[in-house]
Amino acid sequence: MTQWSGYFGLILQGALVTIELTLMGSVLALIMAFLAGLGRLSRFFAIRALATAYIEFFRGTSIFVQLFWAYFVLPFVGISLTPLQAGVLALGLNVGAYGAEVVRGAIQSIGREQYEACTALNLGRWQAMRHVILPQALLVMLPTFGNNAIELLKATAVVSLISLTDLTFQAQVVRSQTGNTLVPFTTILVIYFALALIISWGVRSLERRMARGLDGVRV
Amino acid sequence: MSAPIIKIDGISKSFGTFKVLDGLSMQVMPREKLALIGPSGSGKTTILRILMTLERIDAGHIQIDGEQLYHMERNGQLLPADERHLARMRQKIGMVFQLFNLFPHKSVIDNVTLAPILTKGMPRAAAEKRAMELLDMVGMTDKAKAMPAQLSGGQKQRVAIARALALQPRIMLFDEVTSALDPELVEEVLNVLWRLCSETDMTMLLVTHEMGFAHDFADRVLFFDRGKIVEEGKPDEIFRNPKQERTQAFLKKIIAAGHRV
Repeated sequence: MTQWSGYFGLILQGALVTIELTLMGSVLALIMAFLAGLGRLSRFFAIRALATAYIEFFRGTSIFVQLFWAYFVLPFVGISLTPLQAGVLALGLNVGAYGAEVVRGAIQSIGREQYEACTALNLGRWQAMRHVILPQALLVMLPTFGNNAIELLKATAVVSLISLTDLTFQAQVVRSQTGNTLVPFTTILVIYFALALIISWGVRSLERRMARGLDGVRV
Repeated sequence: MSAPIIKIDGISKSFGTFKVLDGLSMQVMPREKLALIGPSGSGKTTILRILMTLERIDAGHIQIDGEQLYHMERNGQLLPADERHLARMRQKIGMVFQLFNLFPHKSVIDNVTLAPILTKGMPRAAAEKRAMELLDMVGMTDKAKAMPAQLSGGQKQRVAIARALALQPRIMLFDEVTSALDPELVEEVLNVLWRLCSETDMTMLLVTHEMGFAHDFADRVLFFDRGKIVEEGKPDEIFRNPKQERTQAFLKKIIAAGHRV
């Protein structure tokens, strides 16, 4: 009879690493999404080009390769990252590229008449963005951001390949030590699913809170 | 004789190959109430949008209060206006839109206070006090905390008028402000315009299809067709005794459609 409790402890430790990665990766992704999303709408060609290059590059290459790059190739140019740093960097930049398109699309979905009201009230470009356009666009972004966060959570599994002890890594450890595949992989399946549910639920309640008072306008 | 507050000199504007305005010139005196009428596509709304800097002109000059709107004078040269110049010029002008364009995520009072706080650096308390006075004038104090989605069209438009007034413009532009309203809500908005007309000395330009109101409200009526002023004069002259065939035809059509003149 295998001593499962110790192995569950391992898997729980892995869950903490996965949660940590998801949170930190999401924060970076959010920052990148707004930077690149707003960048794509910039008046300046150079900023638009930079944002577009970033988005196309990180959407167009595999997260797997990006992670290996961050961890194994960057040291050759003198940048050595810990597995956690490399994981957060690759996940954040990758998901941020998708998020940037969400930001851009949401901002562009806000009607022309809102921009015109801002001009008529003499708000500056940034004031209009900050006080009128973004608060409305945020509501449009939220559901897709929820999807992206779940994608990011699931993508964290690839970091086990650079020896970060996340959920998937620990499940493999348990499997090789016990010879049992069913129990560890079913356990992490359930844990991933539970984490994804928490994200969905969190985003939905945020959505509800932000939509309050806007009934009938846009959701 | 004082100087005109708006002086439009030979402006043209095309959308693609469609020439909306073609070498148009006109002047508006301070405090004057002007009604712009004419068939849709005649360019009357475009004039308001150009004055509000929502559209740029292809040719010509506009002076507001003696200053160039789209040009800056630097060392005796006329240069295209930059954003700072436009922002300074916009302070003199306010606009109310056909579809209200309220900010749906902000309460009524926040809609009114946003611009004074941001663009004039007004303290929030002062901005709210002023907003309540304006909401009182348009009869909306009891809805100060409501969200726009909870208001009727007429109520929204009255809030939009208060919002535009909060910046104390010298010129107010009204772009078909009752066209999107149910018939029974038109009057409450027109009543507010009446008050503005009689209680303030703002210059007002009104694009409208409410001929009865235009007749009573305006000092002068301009009839537009195909980007040009076909006829202008006192309301009585234009509505009772139009000289131009096109004006006659337009008014006939409008009356046939059931509008009171």
